Amino acid sequence: MSSIGKAGKTGLIFFPAFDWAISPTHPEREERLLYTRDQIFEEGLMDLPAIEEYKPRLAEKKDVARAHFCVPDVESQVTEAHLIAAGSTLTLADALEKGEIRNGFALVRPPGHHSMRVVHGNRGFCNINNMAIMVEYLRTKYGHKRIAVIDTDVHHGDGTQEIFWHDPDVLCLSFHQDGHTLYPGSGFVNEMGGPQALARTLNVPLPPGTTDEGIHYVLDNLILPVLDDFKPDLILNSAGQDNHYTDPLANMRFSANGYARLNEKLAPDLCVLEGGYAVETALPYVNTGIIQAMAGLDYSHVKEPDYVPGRFVQTEGMKREIEHTVAQVQKIWDQRDELVAQALDGAGDFYRRKKRVFYDTDMINENQEEVVRLCPDCAGYMTILTSAQRGYGILNSAFCVSIPRGACSSCRDDAKEEYAEHVDDKRIGYVLMQDKDKDKFKLYNNMIRTERGY
Amino acid sequence: MLIGIDVGGTTTDAVVVDGNKVVKTAYVPTNHDNLLKCLLAALDELVQGIDTRKIERVVLSTTLITNMIAEGKTDPVALVLIPGPGTNPKDYALGKSIILDGAIDFRGKEIDRLKESQIKEAASQIRTQGLSRVAVVGKFCQRNHAHELKVGEILAAALPGGKIELGHKVSGQLNFPRRAATTMLTAATKDRYELFAKDVAAALKERKISSPVYILKADGGTLPLDKSLQMPVETIFSGPAASIMGVLALTKAGRTSVVVDIGGTTTDLALILSGKPLLSAKGARVGSLLTHVRAFAVKSVAIGGDSAVAVSCHALTVGPHRNGPPLCMGGKGPTPTDALRVLGLSQIGDAAKAEEAMQIVAEGLGCTANEAAQKVVDAVVDKIVFEVNEMFREWTEEPAYRIWEIMKKEMLSAQSVVGVGGGAPLLVPLVAARLKAAAIVPEYASVANAIGAAVARPTLTLNLHIDTENGEFSVAEEGLTGRVTDQKMTPEDAGRLARRLLAERAARLGIGEYASEAEVTYSEFFNMIRGWSTVGRLMDVRMEIPAGLLPSWGGC
Repeated sequence: MSSIGKAGKTGLIFFPAFDWAISPTHPEREERLLYTRDQIFEEGLMDLPAIEEYKPRLAEKKDVARAHFCVPDVESQVTEAHLIAAGSTLTLADALEKGEIRNGFALVRPPGHHSMRVVHGNRGFCNINNMAIMVEYLRTKYGHKRIAVIDTDVHHGDGTQEIFWHDPDVLCLSFHQDGHTLYPGSGFVNEMGGPQALARTLNVPLPPGTTDEGIHYVLDNLILPVLDDFKPDLILNSAGQDNHYTDPLANMRFSANGYARLNEKLAPDLCVLEGGYAVETALPYVNTGIIQAMAGLDYSHVKEPDYVPGRFVQTEGMKREIEHTVAQVQKIWDQRDELVAQALDGAGDFYRRKKRVFYDTDMINENQEEVVRLCPDCAGYMTILTSAQRGYGILNSAFCVSIPRGACSSCRDDAKEEYAEHVDDKRIGYVLMQDKDKDKFKLYNNMIRTERGY
Repeated sequence: MLIGIDVGGTTTDAVVVDGNKVVKTAYVPTNHDNLLKCLLAALDELVQGIDTRKIERVVLSTTLITNMIAEGKTDPVALVLIPGPGTNPKDYALGKSIILDGAIDFRGKEIDRLKESQIKEAASQIRTQGLSRVAVVGKFCQRNHAHELKVGEILAAALPGGKIELGHKVSGQLNFPRRAATTMLTAATKDRYELFAKDVAAALKERKISSPVYILKADGGTLPLDKSLQMPVETIFSGPAASIMGVLALTKAGRTSVVVDIGGTTTDLALILSGKPLLSAKGARVGSLLTHVRAFAVKSVAIGGDSAVAVSCHALTVGPHRNGPPLCMGGKGPTPTDALRVLGLSQIGDAAKAEEAMQIVAEGLGCTANEAAQKVVDAVVDKIVFEVNEMFREWTEEPAYRIWEIMKKEMLSAQSVVGVGGGAPLLVPLVAARLKAAAIVPEYASVANAIGAAVARPTLTLNLHIDTENGEFSVAEEGLTGRVTDQKMTPEDAGRLARRLLAERAARLGIGEYASEAEVTYSEFFNMIRGWSTVGRLMDVRMEIPAGLLPSWGGC
């Protein structure tokens, strides 16, 4: 038997959803993790004493409702595959909290980081945000306050950013290929979070073609120092693998070794797989490297067949651009307290913003009006009025109310009143209530005049 | 008439079965220094007065390979690995090995070439070490045998008289370190096993027994002795397999049962789920090595009738050690056997000595001898019940990779607890009561293993992997490969191909008549999409003749 106790182990859930696809030829299809399965099984990684394999479970609807307003309801927006992928993250979260494992990797699909707080359908291959569901679960069940989510997918983690936009206790840091050149077209340096949480959202857009050197520059000079300052209870990695030099949907030059080294240095408590679509040329090697790095094993033998060290060289121009971006973001981080103070000075009682969200996979256009109370006594309750149209199809509208953890009595009362006011308002389809403080969730259907809860 | 002989750890049991009746039984103590001798002694005792011409089949279950490995009496083997990119081979606990350059990927594509000079250097290294047996195993070489074949060829030429075992011939399943271990064990045991098999064949001939001889494998299936020479490691753990098959034979079909085999120092637990013995999700562990050998999931718990009972700081412990026999049977310290004697649950041993044993425990616990005996028995039952529940839990928590696998798994609980082995009749009712299940101690419980061997039918597994883009198929079990010409091959075509290949393999192994029992136990089909079009299909089909009983037995 091994001398490594379970507590020293890396927990792994491998859920390739071999029977789920968006469509037969879609990048997010059954085959995606097939060669990864072959590689990690052939490596015998699950047998190593440093690794403990767990069986996924289904997330409960309540777990989804804690992070999302699903319109019209959770059931309409998720399949079993989504619940299993989300549930896998919760299984590992429990194992970590119980001290059974040292860290964990949910190698699961479908992915989640483009899913925002309100869900009308699938955008960017994502329906529900596995990472956000795990963060909300960790905070509710285990009382963690400060959590850092580092998004290492090539695409901007816009969903996770949006969900924690107003939350000063969740640091969302995403580096990604510049939004001018890649879906979802966001993630610029000036996206910094809501007025109470400015600089707790940090974005590092990188030029196409960024290499191991560039990404590790960001890690060493920005991410690690910011984490040192923020001192999170937990570091989580939204571990997309599409920065890889062979990814068909993006244009970066990151290697499997670069990914492994990143995870070794970042030392995340939990990793959740996001994207990565070079199913044959990258994923088997990148996943093997990440697992080994997390488990403290030697990953120096992991190498793509066509990779030679020094294959990709960063130009001087790219180097300067990356250094410039890092310097800017570092400055934002350094000024975080002043930024919040300035934003709140004379801002009034409420913060409002209007948003349009496009769901590329499902071709849905959504309009939102979000209102957050800038409450001196708590995080402030939030309301969102949303309406979304699928093609020329039906218009779904909802009024969503969110009560934060530790809500003051005045915010709680006002939020309840907002909910009550919109019940039976025939101009709106559904009224949703997310009470994070009491961990209760309900929804009212204005058409059939019934209420139910999760 | 069928003969079953189980060479077990302490006794060698033998039975003659005719139809669905046990005609005769025989026992001799097992002599570990000469397994053949005790096997033949049991056989001679058994066939006295029996017309050997009427014997249709002899099945052996033997601890030969298990003991050989446990006692380190295997032959030394040079391990040559072609690991390619991935894990540092040092992270596998495989012992000393020679590492070669060269690599094959998951699709069977060569991604790095072999270096001939390096292979020749390996050969001279092996020669210098004075080794003649070599195991050559490459990562993903089950998907493309070229590297193993080439290395094997060069080594064979450089090492006259050397015996070279190739990984893809031993197993084609994913898991390179397990394949390496299994191949290494095969090379290490093959020659000695062959000697044993020859001796058995000669001894039977001498006794004018001309019926076919089979060996019981770890998955509860039988295999003709001469065909088993290629896969000696498959016969490890045939003892527990025999006892599970015995329980299957002696209890009603289709039930969910816990098999409890209580011995002197260990209790073996196994599950039969809705009539099907549970196979270990991965291959068997042999000593410190994880293998690809398919085996029933058997859990050995270090507790039994002879376990040492101790009290320290008012806390009672039972096992895991044995300090000689029970006090009531001439030993030195208290054991569960003494406790059972005191409680009047058994008549084994000296009552006064048993009382004395429990008195020792009672003093430590500050209670009466009777109470102490009850506590000891409770502790044993607690431990067994805990482990049974753990086995069910582990079974439900086995990783699953598909939605339907996760959705379908229902909770099963034991309907019956079936006891075999010496301690069974005494403790099984207590375990069963705790599990709210029926206690069953079959009439022939003491020779259940031999009965299991006698009436088990052959098993066979065939894993077929098809890659239509490459136009190739491979069979995991014997390193067989072939071409597929139909790019548009359907899952149904794959099933038909698997069935044909299984029938051919069954015929080669001398068990052709059972091929029709084969069923598809697992299949997966993936379209390979490159860009936006389908370029081929990857299909995997596993077909099995599962563990089962001969039709002539017909159950109890």
